[in-house]
Amino acid sequence: MGKFSFKIERVICALIIVLLFSIDARAQNFTTSGQVKGRDDGLPAPGISVIIKGSTNGVSTDGNGKFSLNVSPGAVLIFKGVGYQTQEASARPQSMTILLVPTENDLTEVTVVGVTMKKRDLTGSVSSVNEKVLRERPVTNINQAIQGRLPGVLIQNNDPRPGGGTTIKVRGNNSIQFGGNPIYVVDGLVIEGGFNAINPDDVASVDVLKDASATALYGSRGANGVVLITTKRGRSGEGRIEYSGWAGVQSFTKDIPYLNAQQIVDLRTDAFANRYMDENPTANRQAYINSLLADGSPAFGADELKTYREGNTYNWLDQIRQRGIQQNHTMSFSKGSDDGSSVYVSFNYTDQKGLLKTSNYKRFGGQVNLDQKIKPWLKLGSNTTFNRTEERYIDGGVFNIAANANPLLEIDDNINYLSWRGIQSTDLYNPIRSLNIDGQGNQNRLLTTNYITATPIPGLNIRTGFSVDIRNQNYYNYIPRYLGQSLRNSTNGSATHKKENWLNWQWDSSVSYEKSYGKHNLSGLVSFGLSHNSYDYNQIDARGFATDDFSFKYLGGAFLKEQFQLQSDFTTNSLVSYVSRFNYNYDNKFFATLTGRYDGSSRFGNGNKWGLFPSLALGWNIAKEDFIKESSLAMLNTLKLRAGYGIAGNQNIPNFAYRSLYRPVFTSGSVTYVSDGRLGNERLRWEKQKQFNFGIDLGVLEDRFTLSADYFVINNSNLLMQRTLSTTTGFTNTIDNVGSLRNQGIEFNLNAQIISKTDLQWNFSANVSTYKNKITKLYGNVDAIYNYGGYTGVEIQREGNLFLGESLNSIYTYKFDKIAQESDMARIAGIDYGGRTIRPGDIIPVDINGDNKIDDADRIVVGNMDPKLYGGFASDITYKNLSLNTVFNYNIGGKRINYLYEGLLGGTGEYAGHIDELDRWTPTNTSSNIPRAYRGTGRYGAGETDYAVQSTSFLRLSAITLSYTFNQAFTKKAKMSNLRVYFTASNVFTATGYKGYDPEGGDNYPTAKMFVTGVNIGF
Amino acid sequence: MKNKYILIPLLVLILTSGSCKKFVIEEPQTALTEEEVFKSLDNIEPLVLGLYTSWRNTKKDRGGFVFTLGTDEAQQGAYQVQTDDRQAGLDRYNGFLTASSSALAQQWDSRWPVIAAAARVVYSLGFNTEEGERKNTILGEASFIRAALTFEVSQYWGEIPLIDQAKFAEYGTRRQPLPLVYSTIISDLQNAIKFLPDTQSDKRRATKGAAIALLGKVYLYAPIASEARDFTKAREQFELLVNSGRYALVNNYADLWDPSKPNTTESIYEFQFTNVNPDNNQTQWQMGSRSLAEIDQYCFFGGYDLMVPTTYCYSDVADGGVWENGDVRKNLSIRYDFTYKGKKPVLNPSFGGDELDPHVKKYEDPRTEGTLSFWLSGKNIFYLRYADILLCYAETLNETGNTAKAVEIVNTTVRRRAWGGNLPADQMWSAGLSSDQFRTKIMDERMRELCFEGWRRMDLIRTGKLVELAKLRNKWTRESGTIQSFHNLYPIPLQEIKQNSDLTESDQNPGYSNQ
Repeated sequence: MGKFSFKIERVICALIIVLLFSIDARAQNFTTSGQVKGRDDGLPAPGISVIIKGSTNGVSTDGNGKFSLNVSPGAVLIFKGVGYQTQEASARPQSMTILLVPTENDLTEVTVVGVTMKKRDLTGSVSSVNEKVLRERPVTNINQAIQGRLPGVLIQNNDPRPGGGTTIKVRGNNSIQFGGNPIYVVDGLVIEGGFNAINPDDVASVDVLKDASATALYGSRGANGVVLITTKRGRSGEGRIEYSGWAGVQSFTKDIPYLNAQQIVDLRTDAFANRYMDENPTANRQAYINSLLADGSPAFGADELKTYREGNTYNWLDQIRQRGIQQNHTMSFSKGSDDGSSVYVSFNYTDQKGLLKTSNYKRFGGQVNLDQKIKPWLKLGSNTTFNRTEERYIDGGVFNIAANANPLLEIDDNINYLSWRGIQSTDLYNPIRSLNIDGQGNQNRLLTTNYITATPIPGLNIRTGFSVDIRNQNYYNYIPRYLGQSLRNSTNGSATHKKENWLNWQWDSSVSYEKSYGKHNLSGLVSFGLSHNSYDYNQIDARGFATDDFSFKYLGGAFLKEQFQLQSDFTTNSLVSYVSRFNYNYDNKFFATLTGRYDGSSRFGNGNKWGLFPSLALGWNIAKEDFIKESSLAMLNTLKLRAGYGIAGNQNIPNFAYRSLYRPVFTSGSVTYVSDGRLGNERLRWEKQKQFNFGIDLGVLEDRFTLSADYFVINNSNLLMQRTLSTTTGFTNTIDNVGSLRNQGIEFNLNAQIISKTDLQWNFSANVSTYKNKITKLYGNVDAIYNYGGYTGVEIQREGNLFLGESLNSIYTYKFDKIAQESDMARIAGIDYGGRTIRPGDIIPVDINGDNKIDDADRIVVGNMDPKLYGGFASDITYKNLSLNTVFNYNIGGKRINYLYEGLLGGTGEYAGHIDELDRWTPTNTSSNIPRAYRGTGRYGAGETDYAVQSTSFLRLSAITLSYTFNQAFTKKAKMSNLRVYFTASNVFTATGYKGYDPEGGDNYPTAKMFVTGVNIGF
Repeated sequence: MKNKYILIPLLVLILTSGSCKKFVIEEPQTALTEEEVFKSLDNIEPLVLGLYTSWRNTKKDRGGFVFTLGTDEAQQGAYQVQTDDRQAGLDRYNGFLTASSSALAQQWDSRWPVIAAAARVVYSLGFNTEEGERKNTILGEASFIRAALTFEVSQYWGEIPLIDQAKFAEYGTRRQPLPLVYSTIISDLQNAIKFLPDTQSDKRRATKGAAIALLGKVYLYAPIASEARDFTKAREQFELLVNSGRYALVNNYADLWDPSKPNTTESIYEFQFTNVNPDNNQTQWQMGSRSLAEIDQYCFFGGYDLMVPTTYCYSDVADGGVWENGDVRKNLSIRYDFTYKGKKPVLNPSFGGDELDPHVKKYEDPRTEGTLSFWLSGKNIFYLRYADILLCYAETLNETGNTAKAVEIVNTTVRRRAWGGNLPADQMWSAGLSSDQFRTKIMDERMRELCFEGWRRMDLIRTGKLVELAKLRNKWTRESGTIQSFHNLYPIPLQEIKQNSDLTESDQNPGYSNQ
């Protein structure tokens, strides 16, 4: 490495010298200035000595890594600091940006499972985000921090509730149902679920491994990508104390434009009158409408007429929402020494008051990272995260019930159920009263990874590590006696306790050896790992409480003993892995990595437990070749070609899916054995993804401009899926290897330091990704697997069906043709619409096969939900002490069924309506695309066709941050090493044509925007 | 030196490898595997009890009444019809009654797993070497359950798959011809009769009498095309039961609907329910009146009007209905008066309009009054009742040339009780009825005695009267006017056609498209 960087520096220096002399030939002293940063984290490096080569003159960089120095022409500067490799550069009159390479300590290393590796040895496709980027958004979870920053990584916020999570997909879908998410590896420990436990302030870097050669070390579970999280460690040099904190206010980004009370009345009378006139064509429409608005109306409840006559309208949603407030504080202490020992300790507190009344979220925890060299040949260390979260939940249905509540219904917290037309629905619990449901949860989590590394002889590393993830989660709920929920089910108050425990441990050992023979550099690794995951839970539902005063806290006092329900389960699964890996490079020009792993999983039956997963990666660093260096392409300081091929595996299915299981059920006074409905499949085996990746990395002008491009093809065979069965088999479903999928795509990532002057810097980065997937084979000779669901579980759903030759994410339904006009009546008269009647203003579906009958054969794949392009771009402008950072996300070409919108276009006026209905089709407004008002359901609803399949393309300004960094002169006086204050606005702007709450988050709950002020202080 | 160090990890690897095979074997800690369940009678017996529960559960809640809708005795409430076109198709027999009817698919899907599991029990007992009576009892029960459900499914869907592990290679899961379907049902029931005990202390479990009664009904209800309909054989089974002296009508018809008097001498088999979830049946939720639910969710005759009697079924003969003067069954089967706590409810004008018309009363569970939501109603539901068997017996007598005796049976048993033990002369059927007259009268008598108990659709199908009488008496069928003879069978559910590799689109019952 030393040799390598030395050479490259010399080339660069020579280049710069040549350039300088050609531009500026004046032989005068001048002032050079610039900023020194760490190459790994992009953060300013303070306290670096800058010395003119051949002299003892020099200065130290300030708290922001800045320096200024008077030099003579041709001077070469030496940059030297603890923890960094010494570097030289020719002095320039322009502003210089020096990126120092950290010394070969942990900062360039990353701990994958059971082994510590140099990052550069992670051949294959890797996207990384460093500490600097992580600091750009004030967020409380790691997924949000990296959203839009990595090519090929699609992160969506689809649960904006306090503490809510995000989904993350690497390179689109590769699996169907199981293991669609990548795994997270925190300092070498594979964790599942609850990623909120990691405080982004403690994270030094996030690396997403995307192709088989990169993920090979996780073969068993890396098929859907690997997110490597490396937490911070103490740096050598002076100890640091840092505080970062922020606070913000949150509000919803969007309200759905609902019809108000008066508009609902118009719609409903129109709907009733249309129905009436269809049945009585010669009747007097106005007389009928008058009767609808009179007392004793069949269309309106007396209460609704009262509201109508008073000219009121009621917004139930306003009754349950509030302004959200969020704050986050992290304090950290760190120090390191030159021998590689270090300590990092942090504490964190997060508090979030939710957007709906009574909901909130709190987290407090910390991180302790220690590394110690005990002997020159022996090192040990520990990374430990602990935290506790406490949440107060709002009942799941409350938001939707309140949002879609009848605007004609007077706000009243005494009624148990909401009503339409004066008819109470026992499904519509009064949302205001539901706020009294006491839902609370908490979680304690401890993640600890511990290792010992011995280096008995140079080049030989023996490492063994033991990691544990302990998670205890409690959920409590109490529904008071007087709520509709309790009355409906005669529970007299019901309390729930659910306690869950996870204990996952991992033991990994490895032996690696590296050696160079001339220009041949070799390294090899064998490792062996065991991983064991156990889970248990118990749940108690108790009913019948004499008082609501004790909430869920005193189960012993519940009297409806025969309605008590007890549940529990214990499951365990285990994995064994053998890995061997061999790296070779010739003169740091050619690279080859060969990996083989052999994994056994308890999730498969005998004979199918083991899978072999080989991979090979090749790299060629062309920029190192003499023919480049000596050619006009010499400005290229990076030109690297990468190619990788490998097989990754997936076993992320429910336990014991290879067996049919029966469980005891207590009913009618005795125990019975009942099947859980799943047919055990003894032939189940590993899902295997054959992944090919080709990539190129380009860098010019000392990597001021870099571009990476990757192309991938993934052929996934033996896809794992739960499919429904004909019940004549005696079962309702089975998990099976159902087919094959081909997924291919391209990703680009660009970074540019467009302006790099002392006082003004502008960095810009952008990424764009695309993928396309296609099902290439299904089991047997079937060409479709349908997704049955709905209330009775027997209706073909519009999403989740698999069709040969189509995307995994296809939408399957009848195609919307048009809104019927009088002139269409003759054309459609002969078509059998299966009991439906179409009149002008109603939806006409397309008779795809033209057989004059709308039936199963007319349902088609009308599109898919995959975006054509997605990604993000960010700009970072710094002028003197001020900097402005903006992060955008975008998605082009995706589609989604807007369930909310189509539900609001029912046109009956007996349910909430969308403002678009004001433009509904009427005999005098025939050019409208909104179906007419109509009472009853004897026509096609929007939800039976692709009418409400809408584009989810969007451009979102996900964060804009303005920050000010104080001068060292000031911070010194204040006894600080650095001070930065900032203001951030997140999700303030989204351009989209999607009519639901959010094109990403969907329709259940709006996303939140937030205005934040924060501070970073270092001592 | 170097080699020595490399040996250490290799040694570790070798030492651990052996145990790794075991490390990746995990056994379920909270479930029995199929092999374990079918290995011993101690496990098979609870499995069979579970099948009784699954079978029972097909009779509860909304699903339990799907087959009674669209008959001449019951129909959906108006509000249900107005708000759900797909479900309304069950009464309207229009374009919504198609292969994608989810209400029917749910009935289909809930029965097959029970049939298949019963078949596995029968098959696995063939290999069981345990000694004793228990094995025979379980074999009899599994045969009975398989027969009862196969019979029901075949009555409504016609040619259906037969599940028999021993013949899986031959049968697959394709539709089988009716003669084979019925001969299989009959042979299952013959086995059941052979192996079942006369009595069972656990009322969930079937007895020999239940198997005899069902076999009689199978001979009576089997379609002509099955070649299994045989009035003589049916009569012989019913005679066995009548002569056994084990069963008798209860004196007071009201006792049948009194939840404090379950499993009477009249009960040959009834589904056992309680007021505690999951053993409640929610029946009242479906049968009661929305007008009462509006007043109080704990009113025992409140509900949501899924199924209400047809006008014919609740009216007197004088008004063109079925009820004769003095028949006590009328007011015990149907609720006419909705006065609650001294107040007469008023019809909400925005309701469907029939919420205060007569409602089904047989399932009312007064135990819930004031204390429990009617959702927790849980009276037992009859499957085989002796009164039904007597009426069937009379029919077989009539069909085998003994009309006079048939009339005598009806007069002295079912009708006598219907008039409180003293059948007035003017309500006695004449011994001189022709066999055709008897056939007509017995259909009305069956409605009076057995309305809403789940046999009506089968009665209409076997007598060929479904189209004629539903069109005449069911409001929605009449208004739609689209019922045709192909509606005697239901459509095979679309998801079955798509997922069953032995079925193709052309296997659909005639008249239905795969819509």
